[in-house]
Parts: sequence; C-alpha cells; structure tokens
Amino acid sequence: MGGRTISACNYPLCWQSYKMPILMKMNTHNLTIRNWQTTICLVGMLLAAANVVSAESSIAESGLAIVVHKDTEVENLSLSELRNIFRANQQFWPNRSRIVLLVRAAQSDERDFVLNKIYEMNEDEFRRYWIAKMFRAEVPRGPKVVFSTGMTLDLVVAIPNSISFMRADNVTDDVKVVRIDGKLPGEDGYPLK
Amino acid sequence: MKYRTAIRGLILIATSLVVAGPSYAQTAEEITSSIISGDPEFNFMGFGDLNYISRDGNNEDGFTIGQVVAHMSASLSDSFSIFAEFTGTGKDSQYSFEVERLIAKYEFSDMFKLSGGRYHTPIGYWNSAYHHGSWLHTSTSRPEMVKFGSKLVPIHFVGILMEGTLPRNRLGLSYSAGFGNGRHENVARSGDAGDINSDKAWMVQVQSAPDRYYGLKFGLGFYNDEITPDDRPEIKESTVSAYVAWTKESPEIIFEYLHSEHEELLNSSVSGDVDAWYAHFAYRLKGKRRDWKPYIRFEKTEVDDTDPLLFDQGLNFDASILGLRWDFNPYAALKAEYRNEEFDNNGRENNFRLQLSFVLAKL
Repeated sequence: MGGRTISACNYPLCWQSYKMPILMKMNTHNLTIRNWQTTICLVGMLLAAANVVSAESSIAESGLAIVVHKDTEVENLSLSELRNIFRANQQFWPNRSRIVLLVRAAQSDERDFVLNKIYEMNEDEFRRYWIAKMFRAEVPRGPKVVFSTGMTLDLVVAIPNSISFMRADNVTDDVKVVRIDGKLPGEDGYPLK
Repeated sequence: MKYRTAIRGLILIATSLVVAGPSYAQTAEEITSSIISGDPEFNFMGFGDLNYISRDGNNEDGFTIGQVVAHMSASLSDSFSIFAEFTGTGKDSQYSFEVERLIAKYEFSDMFKLSGGRYHTPIGYWNSAYHHGSWLHTSTSRPEMVKFGSKLVPIHFVGILMEGTLPRNRLGLSYSAGFGNGRHENVARSGDAGDINSDKAWMVQVQSAPDRYYGLKFGLGFYNDEITPDDRPEIKESTVSAYVAWTKESPEIIFEYLHSEHEELLNSSVSGDVDAWYAHFAYRLKGKRRDWKPYIRFEKTEVDDTDPLLFDQGLNFDASILGLRWDFNPYAALKAEYRNEEFDNNGRENNFRLQLSFVLAKL
C-alpha cells in the first residue's frame, strides 16, 4: 500500500523537458545544451518517441489482445459488451462473480489504444469518468492500475475473474485470450487493431 | 488588481491541496493480496470550492467557501459495499455539517442491486449525476430547481433502493426503484428520523444509455408521496421528470423537465401544479484550447397560484446564465459566470460569480 512505484516512462515529463522549447526559441541559430540534465532529458524524449512509434506499429500489426484469467467462463465478447465491461457498466461475469478490471497506467501505448478504441475517451475524460462513477456510488473503486505487460500477466494469472489487455505478441499460455466479435487477434476483421 | 491577487491565491491553495494529495502505486503483490485476501478496501475522495460572488445591490458580496465534501467507500466483500458522504457548508456565522449519503449496498448481479440508507433521490439527471462536488459539473452551481434545500424536488430520501441494468440490451436500459420516508414537515428536508406520516414515498426511474451513441442518456422518473407540512393540511404529491443528456462535452447538452402536482388530501379541489426546466449547453474547445469550456444555461420555474404546498414559497424563477470554465489543472477548475435572474417576479438582477473547484482523488 505504501510503496511508491516510479514508472519508467516518467522521463518525458521531467521539468527540464518543459524548458526545451524555451531554450530552442532563445537560441534559434545556436542551440546549446546547457547541462547534463538537459542532455539526459533530450535523449529520454528521443527514446520515448522512438518507443512510441515502434509500439504503435506493433499494436497496429498484431492487435491488442483482451486477456482474462484462465478459469473465467467467457470465450467471446462483442465490442459493445467489452465497452460495457471496461466502463464498469457491467461489473459481473455471467456466473455472478465480480469482474476485476486491470488497466495500464498513463503513458503506455496499450492504454492510449484502449482509451481511444474501447473507452472512446481521452485521458482527461477517462479521469473525470471514473471520479464521477465513484461519486455516484456506481462503483466502490476505480480500476486497478498496472505498470507493465509483465505485471499485467502476473495479475491476470493470479486473480480469478480479472480482465485486462496487452499487445497480442506478448500473450502467453498462462492467460486466456477472448474473442472480440468472434475474432482473435491476427484474424481478418479483428476490431482491436 | 484585487481580483488577480485573489485568483492567484485561490489557485495556489487548490494546487497545494492537489500536490499534497496521496500519491502511491500498488505493486502486483499488493494488488493480488488485497483482492484475494478479501480484506476491506477503502477509498477516499474530497471535493471543495471557493467562490467570489457579486450581486446587484447586495452589500454582502464577497468570498465564500462553498461545500467541503468527503466521500468514503469501502468494499467489504465482492458484493457488499458501504458508501458515505459528509459535507461542511459555510453559513452566516458557522459551518453546518451533514451526512448527505450513507448507503449500504449488496450487489446480487448487474441486474439487481439492493441497498438501504440515505440517498440523492434518483429523480431527474442533475440530482444524482452531480449533486455535491461542483468540480464535477460545468457551471458554478446547480440549477435552481434542484438547488440544495430545494422545496421543489425532494433532494434526499431515506429508505431502500433497488437498481440494475437489463442484460445485453443495446438500449442500455437501467432502472432504479425506491421506497422510503417521504419529506419532513420542513419539506426541504428528508425524513431522516422516520416518516412524518404512515404513507411512504416511492419512486421509479428508467434510463437508457444506448451503446451506439456513447454519451447519450435519457430517462423518465416518477415520485409519489404524501406530505404533512407543519403549517397546512396533508398534501398528495406526484412528480414526473424527464431528461436528455449528451455528456461528451463537445458539445455537452442537458435538458431536464419536471412537473409536480400537489393536491390537498381532504379537499381535492385545492390543487396546483409546478413546472420547472433547464436547458444547459456547453462546448469543450478542441486542440490547444481544450482546457476551456464556455457554457450557457436557461432556467425557468413556474408555480401555480393555487398550489397548496408551494404557492407562497417564492419559487418562481427565470434565469439566463453565461459562463466559462477553465480546467487549468486535471483536478481543479476555475469558472467565471454571469447570471441574469429574476426571483418570484421581483425584477431582474445581475450576478457575477467566480469559483475555484477541485477534487482530491487518485485513480
């Protein structure tokens, strides 16, 4: 509960990165890197940008897999049902077990993809949506936040009734992949790519 | 200049509160252990707002602290949860503290959830969608017909509530049905210590949120009660409300209508109606200006001169409201609002409100 986890993706948000546009503006013809912190931030931003491009192309190629705990009695969901689950309008599986929703932390490509394709919200709307949902006492808590694909796999394996998502090429045999509109990732017409 | 200093001060206070808020992330082991062990899990949220109000010909203008709201929820098991909401509201010479909601809920399935406690009466849209926590709604305040202490709409009710969503329906149909204490002899309050007469209040609301049009909601609700006011005979109250809301922000449209009939129980010829509505339009700008959201709202309340419950309560109201919301922080907003209002046909007046609202929450 008390442990603080620092996301490896935090570096693009360090304070130095906000200074860069100002520096660049001031020294249009002669951009000088003022100190080692700025250098690290610049490299970090470039790496992050490269990573985003590579990950996005990967989701687009392989698709995003919806994964559940192996014992969950669900094989197929329509995109509409999936949206209702992720928006917590459906909170129970058909066997009346409560669904445990695991969502990637901000600044991951999988989360951006899910916000866009499933939630149909941006990051601000997503935050407001869950705060309002908790305020109306429609849910006792928000979704559980996970920080990496590895953590997602660990939790879906360990927690009965859990559901989450990851790039299809990261899926292992330890979790069950749910068909969406009757299709698996990689099949023609799969809606999450 | 004074305004600028005040605004800077308000922003500083809100930002400090947000920055000072809890910030932690659970590890995989902690999440697994908290879910599998079945130990209760507690969540806390807080809302607050600070206001500056300027009114035509009113010498009591100035800064006010709005409501400080504390929300607590706890999952005691997969199906059983407790939700509590407390408020502190600044009054003339003191703060009043209130238990706004206290709900013990058992969820059998998505289709059937049963709870007991004190609720925001599920009638219409605004009263249950926003209620406290002005950060949640676009404007600085609630529409007059559902304002705190409204005599028009029973804002709270104490009793039991059944609610649920019909399975696998594209219309996203859901229902809520309540049964409980009606209004207190002070009709602005719910019967917190029991009903004042033997006839309980009941209410039903049906809502739809179609899958195909995410953001669209509409609903129809009924409320029925027998009221024993402290200064007049027993009165039967029947209220119907309807709303349409499009909440995707660009645009945001909310229209809500309420019709209430009051009739003396012992003399049905003494009766009257109340009609009230508001229409709210807002638009969150796109791109770099997405933090800005202009809005406009029109409101009207008309009470029959013959209404046996509300004819002398001065509830006739007419307003045009123009405002701008600036979400300068993900958890805080600054709102400026101009209001042209007329209370009980006593001539129009101009008001200006500036509000800083914020939420303390961590997802």
